[in-house]
Amino acid sequence: MPLKEITKELILLVGIAVITAFTANVFSPKGIAFFGDWDTSQGVITAKPKGDVVFHELEIGDIFSAKAIYDSGAIFIDARAEEDYRDGRIKGAVSLPVWQFEELKHEFKDEFPTHMMIVTYCSGRECDDSHVLAQCLLDEGYMDVKVFIDGYPAWEEKGFPIEQ
Amino acid sequence: MIARWVVGGMFLFACYHKIVEPAHFAKIIYGYYLFPDVSINLIAIILPFLELFAGVALILGIYPRSAVLIINAMLLAFIVAIAINLIRGHEFDCGCFSFGTTGGTFSVVQLLARDIVCFFLGLQILFFDNSRKWCVRQSGSILGNLSSN
Repeated sequence: MPLKEITKELILLVGIAVITAFTANVFSPKGIAFFGDWDTSQGVITAKPKGDVVFHELEIGDIFSAKAIYDSGAIFIDARAEEDYRDGRIKGAVSLPVWQFEELKHEFKDEFPTHMMIVTYCSGRECDDSHVLAQCLLDEGYMDVKVFIDGYPAWEEKGFPIEQ
Repeated sequence: MIARWVVGGMFLFACYHKIVEPAHFAKIIYGYYLFPDVSINLIAIILPFLELFAGVALILGIYPRSAVLIINAMLLAFIVAIAINLIRGHEFDCGCFSFGTTGGTFSVVQLLARDIVCFFLGLQILFFDNSRKWCVRQSGSILGNLSSN
């Protein structure tokens, strides 16, 4: 087996691929960090792309804190698809599927003034739709927006108020 | 030559969406629950370009035996990763050709079968020890250089 030649060829092919990969990643507008946040105990996971929407400082990481905020009268917004919302949601939550934000935002803004405290949620720490929605709302002028990162499954599991 | 173009073309097709959406691809790698956190982004950055260059090299015939060696190493890794998740009953998005394509067990079995077929096509390319057609740079087979045959 011509090991020497094969090693040379492999080094050449893999070397070019790796150099191109890192170069393209640095210059691509969709490039990602070399290391992402993949530990769910630290918050919502993210590959940390350029223009990342996941801001851990907005997160409510403790379900009991989320319940206290819920009891204080904050508006909970469900970022999941309408179908999931219909199947089960936090009691009193409003549906605003993140991918329909543009078409629904005017109606939403008419109903909920920008000074209200808003908490977005989706289906847990592996889901960043709640963060995407939080950023959309902040861009629309909402000042008090938080993200409940454990989402509907954890809320339901804890036996907190839900409706279907 | 046909085997080279089929396998190379498949990898070219497969790498496109991974290069365009690396963050999404990284999330899919995470979804396998097999890789250490520190390796996920690096895999998402490097793997699509390995697929791209190995695919191009295979189609154009630039060091085809080494290109197919890279491709078969990747295929073997995919087969093992998919098989592990299939055995433990974990549903996941394979991220093979486009995102969100793996709906259930049946499609996972299909893609596992496809990877195994490709792997054997790769072996055929790897052990082919005659002069290869339409090759920019001949390199013989895994067993010997062309000049030494």
